[in-house]
Amino acid sequence: MNRVSFLAGLAFGFLVAAARLNDYNVIHDMLLLREPDVFLMMASAIGVAAPILAYMQKKHWRTMDGEINLRRQPISRKNVTGAAIFGAGWAVAGSCPVPALAMTVGGSVLGAFVMAGLVSGIVLRDAVEARSLQPLLRRFRASSEVEPEAAGAQG
Amino acid sequence: MDILPDRVPWYIVGPLMGLTVVALFAIANRPLGATTAYRESFRAATLRRVNEAWRVWLFVGMAAGALLVSLLRGGPSLTLSYGLLGTLVPVGLLIPILFGAGLAMGFGARWSGGCTSGHGIRGMSALSPASIAATMTFMAVAVSLTFLLHIVTGGSL
Repeated sequence: MNRVSFLAGLAFGFLVAAARLNDYNVIHDMLLLREPDVFLMMASAIGVAAPILAYMQKKHWRTMDGEINLRRQPISRKNVTGAAIFGAGWAVAGSCPVPALAMTVGGSVLGAFVMAGLVSGIVLRDAVEARSLQPLLRRFRASSEVEPEAAGAQG
Repeated sequence: MDILPDRVPWYIVGPLMGLTVVALFAIANRPLGATTAYRESFRAATLRRVNEAWRVWLFVGMAAGALLVSLLRGGPSLTLSYGLLGTLVPVGLLIPILFGAGLAMGFGARWSGGCTSGHGIRGMSALSPASIAATMTFMAVAVSLTFLLHIVTGGSL
């Protein structure tokens, strides 16, 4: 499993850097709709992968960890809200997680600051999520403590 | 000596990216994505419990792949340049701006459940409704904000 994910990462990191997605100007020109290359790259990646994955799911493809699961998720508000914040950061930095890593590996000091921000944002979101779950957890614990008495009273 | 072309064209990179997503699903039944790989790698680096070790290996692989390209292009070199943005904004101001942009990306991607690779390539390839909505949103916001910055800076950016 770890070997497979390392190799997939190796290929993906190689391709991102080979296409110069770790260059601010490439992403900036894409987002200014000056050149279609990155859009075409994404579209061709999806165009190749989507039919193969759909076929594999239809055929109940067996992997080394059970039947293939494409993890399709229904739309929820967090997908859109989070993506809007992500998009704002992407526009300013002209870089996203894998390109920022590729930038840094290539020697970009400023790429390392993007990466530091990324990690901080992930940690911050996890902290917010953990905090917002606290009242729910407390309520759950309280209700499970009360339950036996309530059941007894009814009985 | 530079072995790789300056920029490998989209019609080679795109399909190969698609096949990478397929391979990780087909062999290991795992979704390719960078945000959770960052998270798990940070946990590993700070000696905290790692929930999914394969994501750390994915992250290490991504770094190794990018390093390989850098080596094929003459090797990594320390630089403070940052494209057009770096020519317009002094480094002292650029550092907090880029950190803030990274923070927004990390926060937003974690909230949204993916980034350009997790939603934009992997999730879209899986035809996941959540990823389609997220990709349309971050594309629309990023394009709009980039145009706004372009206008505000009088076309400099």
